[in-house]
Amino acid sequence: MTINPDGIILLEWGWFKINATILFTWLVMFLLTFGSWLVTRKLTSKGTLTRWQNLLEVLVNGIKGQIKEISRQEPEPYLPFVGTLFIFIAISNILSILPGYIPPTSSLSTTAALAICVFVAVPVFGIAHQGMLNYLKQYLQPTFFMLPFNVIGELSRTLALAVRLYGNMMSGTIIIAILLTITPLIFPVVMQVLGLLTGLIQAYIFAILAMVYIASASKTHQEAEKKGEI
Amino acid sequence: MIIDWYTIMFQIVNFLILVFLLRYFLYGPIIRAMDEREQTIMQREEKAAAQTLEAENETRSYHQKSEKLQQREEEILEKARVAAKNEKQELLEQARREVDETRHRWKEELTRERETFITELRQRIGQQACLIARRCLQDLADSYLEELIWDFFLKKIGELPEEECASLLKASVAGDHKVLLRSAFDPPEAKLNELKKDLQKIVNDPEAGFHLSVKKDPALICGLELAVGGYRIAWSIENYLEDVEDQILKELEQAAPAKQAEEVPGSGERGS
Repeated sequence: MTINPDGIILLEWGWFKINATILFTWLVMFLLTFGSWLVTRKLTSKGTLTRWQNLLEVLVNGIKGQIKEISRQEPEPYLPFVGTLFIFIAISNILSILPGYIPPTSSLSTTAALAICVFVAVPVFGIAHQGMLNYLKQYLQPTFFMLPFNVIGELSRTLALAVRLYGNMMSGTIIIAILLTITPLIFPVVMQVLGLLTGLIQAYIFAILAMVYIASASKTHQEAEKKGEI
Repeated sequence: MIIDWYTIMFQIVNFLILVFLLRYFLYGPIIRAMDEREQTIMQREEKAAAQTLEAENETRSYHQKSEKLQQREEEILEKARVAAKNEKQELLEQARREVDETRHRWKEELTRERETFITELRQRIGQQACLIARRCLQDLADSYLEELIWDFFLKKIGELPEEECASLLKASVAGDHKVLLRSAFDPPEAKLNELKKDLQKIVNDPEAGFHLSVKKDPALICGLELAVGGYRIAWSIENYLEDVEDQILKELEQAAPAKQAEEVPGSGERGS
């Protein structure tokens, strides 16, 4: 039993190697892209919708609604980043019911990579939204002495983000593995169902937290704008 | 080693590629389609709203037209009703007039008939009264009465005023001294001679020969009539009787209109 899918090396050629995490990530990426292409190549804006188009519209619209609710801003700029986080994690987790499939999210490398993406995206969106100076000023709030704590906060929440998802997903896989040895019948199925739920919730939490961080980075500027208006 | 930096870098790149891919294969088209649909729905709603407004306006205009038509209909009906009423009134008036006229005419006819009848009756009564008197006098007439009549007649001739005498003379000359005597009785010779003498006296010629012819005429009730040329002297009860008849008829005529005048208002009230 392998806890870390990074360790399963499928192909190695010099420094270039393909492990299970990367392979399954590609699989998920292919599924998502191909599925999206299949559905969106014949979209209609009139008449009856296909059920797949309807499903995707519900999904995209739901994500947009969530983003708007949290950020209280127009969701379009954040949608590709936050939406992809949610869909990628959700699909990766849901596919874990397939035998032989190891979710890429159960690798700390993947969750760390996603957390790093968020870590980078926060200042990127913050700066894009309110400018470099205003963004950097945020670290000096409320006083100059808070700078180290703000920096630590920024780093720690990225770490927490990565570890939370990894922990949950890895634990799910490990629990099933342990239960299979103790009670090989029926009970693992229940746990697997629970795992699906946990996977979706984690995807939701990850995406929502990412959005919260991004929103908080562009919030100060917004408040200043509002004050200016008043 | 739990964290594999190689894998992390790989995964970051993978994720960024996925973001890019999904942006072009999922979010973009889906959002576009939704926007388009929203636009279409909005347009449709706007169109529907416009059509609804138009329909409402049309409905309102139809309502107004219908109300106008109803009003017009009522007006026409009212006019027709008034016209019919007037026509009826007029026809009634005309009928009443005709009835009145007919009644009036009928009444006039009736009155005329009655008048004719009354006049006739009156004449009959008068004539009958006179006839009775005449018969009485005819029955009573005798020689004594005849003598009295002759005396009176001769006296009348004898007392003729001068201008009358002149007229008689002129008539006698013109008539070639022809004298016609009409009498109800056979005149006695003595009286005829007396008459001749009187006539000779009147013409102041004792030798004048009068050709006296006598004609008996019972219609002259107890009377005598002397015609000399165009001149005429007469006495008879007939004259008196005629006077009496005239008088009686006059009296009856005067009495009749008074009676009619009393009757007419009564009949008029019954007619209305």
